[in-house]
Amino acid sequence: MKMLRKQFVNLSRVSTHLPRNVLASRAASRGAEMSTNVAPAETATAPPPVINEFRTGVTNPGEQSELHVAKFYTIPIEEKKQIFSGGGLPKQYEKQIKTFTEACLMVRSPALELLHYIKNADLTKPAVRYVLYGDNGVGKTLTMAHVLHYGALNDFLLVHVPWAPNWMKRPKEAANSASQEGFIDLPFDAAAWLIHFKAQNSKLLQRLQLKTSKEYVWSKRESTPAGATLIELVEHGIARIKYASETTAALISELKQLATAGQCKIMVAIDGYNAFFHPITRIFSDNKQRVSPDRITLTQPFLDITSYDWTNGVCVLSVDKIAMTEGYMSSYMPRYLLGKEGFEHLDPFVPVHVGNYTDKEFISYINYYLDRHWISKTQPGFEEQLKFLSNMNPYTLMRLVRGL
Amino acid sequence: MSLRVLGLNLIKTNRNLLQTAVKNNGAPNAHAVAMAPYATQVTVQATPAAVQKQKVSKAMKAYLERANEHDEFMKTQHLEFQIGKRHLANMMGADAETFTQQDIDEAINYLFPSGLFDKRARPSMRSPEEVFPARKAAEFDETGRPFHSMFYTGKPNYFQLLHDIVTETNKLNDLEERMLRRGNKPDENQKLEMAGSQLLRKEQLERVLVEHIADIEYQNFTSAMERLIISPYAYKSKAFIERFLKPLIDQSKQLEVPKPKIDEQGRQYVTTYECLRKTARADVTVRLPGTGKITINGQDISYFSLEECREQLLFPLSYSKMLGKVDVEANVEGGGPSGQAGAIRWGIAMSLRSFVDQEMIETMRLAGLLTRDYRRRERKKFGQEGARRKYTWKKR
Repeated sequence: MKMLRKQFVNLSRVSTHLPRNVLASRAASRGAEMSTNVAPAETATAPPPVINEFRTGVTNPGEQSELHVAKFYTIPIEEKKQIFSGGGLPKQYEKQIKTFTEACLMVRSPALELLHYIKNADLTKPAVRYVLYGDNGVGKTLTMAHVLHYGALNDFLLVHVPWAPNWMKRPKEAANSASQEGFIDLPFDAAAWLIHFKAQNSKLLQRLQLKTSKEYVWSKRESTPAGATLIELVEHGIARIKYASETTAALISELKQLATAGQCKIMVAIDGYNAFFHPITRIFSDNKQRVSPDRITLTQPFLDITSYDWTNGVCVLSVDKIAMTEGYMSSYMPRYLLGKEGFEHLDPFVPVHVGNYTDKEFISYINYYLDRHWISKTQPGFEEQLKFLSNMNPYTLMRLVRGL
Repeated sequence: MSLRVLGLNLIKTNRNLLQTAVKNNGAPNAHAVAMAPYATQVTVQATPAAVQKQKVSKAMKAYLERANEHDEFMKTQHLEFQIGKRHLANMMGADAETFTQQDIDEAINYLFPSGLFDKRARPSMRSPEEVFPARKAAEFDETGRPFHSMFYTGKPNYFQLLHDIVTETNKLNDLEERMLRRGNKPDENQKLEMAGSQLLRKEQLERVLVEHIADIEYQNFTSAMERLIISPYAYKSKAFIERFLKPLIDQSKQLEVPKPKIDEQGRQYVTTYECLRKTARADVTVRLPGTGKITINGQDISYFSLEECREQLLFPLSYSKMLGKVDVEANVEGGGPSGQAGAIRWGIAMSLRSFVDQEMIETMRLAGLLTRDYRRRERKKFGQEGARRKYTWKKR
């Protein structure tokens, strides 16, 4: 069924493009007016961008403004592959992207607000922490994705943890740390993160040629000398999974130093940040005791990089109810989710509230679904029904239109 | 016994004290007779003085004995009822003279609270005329000669009725023919409206006829009546037909629609308390010029995580096309999600009556939105896995 639907979508797309060719030149000129520079990934062979009232041709998040609120912009495929191949988009959204054969994000005001802050931030001052908060399914992760896209296009090194609670809730493997007594390593997860880091930043790292400041001795025979490139460090961590956790720690401390020295600028993005402060994990030590996150070797570097003692960086963090466990989910406010310790660690930070859709955004989303032929049963008044049924909550809406 | 309350024996012991007072109240059977028209054809005094001197047929004699007995019985019943009523009035501290049937019902309900489901099984006290069905009066004279020509059919009243229906039908047919010949047409304005009423049910007809009839006989009655009713000139014998029609009660007209009040912001609002479903209990306020905001226990509609519950909640609003025009506030407690959603749904529907027209109220009623759902959880039975399901049967 889905395949049929997909084919049908493609067919209909072709058919809608045919009459538009006449208008193509005019549309292109209008697009040029709207955006000062067209997205770099666009090539001559790509079909002309479809202009709808709910789409925008401005694919660079840095250039989006209040004008583009509630409009969709397309992330080019290569950029999407570079930034989000190791996670960063919710699974269901990923599926939707696959079905719609385009990675579209809606420009929403929390993301714009955040981008406005980041653009106007003075990077010579200590790193500013931005905390995204909001109820379940309002689009915190996608807001973060939007900001990440901005970061990737503006030469930020991305230190991105797609979903931190994965480490506490379903680690691939837990081993006792060799270097620190009583600590737990998550070698596979650390290695996976390193791969993700490399995928996101390989181009930039190659260009910047960042060097390590000191020698790292992993064992008797293995060491990374001072002056090695960061890529070498990362690749060592990926190749020697046993040392992946330590490599991560080393990498992050190096990055902090480099950024403070002004050699690069860093965007830290951690989804589900409050998991680092939630005492209940599913990792057990040798004597079958629950291990709290502060006894996990991966936690410390990420807490370090989210503190204020470095410059040339921004931290975009999100706190999420579902990063907690049962019984700790009664509120989505940062103070509640981070707890006293976490709140004091982050204080002072800039809270950014992500809420449900506004009317404009809702209508835009429905139009998008109609355009993608995802909604095919359109009885009179179905928008109204969906609006009240979903309470304009993005995730609920996505779930509801699944069956339409 | 008109008094079907256990343990009220004290009324019997005190009977003699009040007997004289009650006797003065006069003929107790007066309105019992008025209830059943077919029972009044001949009113035979229990023992007329003239009868005893003449020669009386055996049938008449037996009847007189029975009638006498019945009169006596009714008299004592009536007496007991009066005494009981006085006692009850005394107990409730009310005036016995002005103690009405409604007061009696309330008193019994108060003194003997009953959880029995069937209303007829609950204790009650009503006048003997209501409790004991009317009896036929004598159908023959002193010499044993029946009054009614159809006496020997065994059901004279019933067959008389059929006869009357056919007579009426024939009359209308003749009329129709005459009118046709003259070229007149039946008056459309006077056409008989049958939509709001239906024929008497079998039990009701039996009560009117004071005779038991078989199912097939009732069918004959209905088909004869239908034949009469479809006649274009049926309005000419409207009075006759209406004797056997019962109006269907338009319930939504009966129920009183509350008048909306005005709040501080000048908006109309109606609050419905005691919205019940399963074990949930809610009170719902609907405010008229609104934006469709829904508040449940201080939360929005995300109070219900289930899609079904949200749909339940929104159904009365979308059905009456008031979605987005009114604001809803609800406080709900007890029960689970579906019970709570059902309780609020009922509350919204009931409150919306004040803001929609009569026609919409009627369609809402027909859609079942205004009907309370009285279903409760059925208890588990021992020896069974649940309320109905049995344990898996295994041979060994």
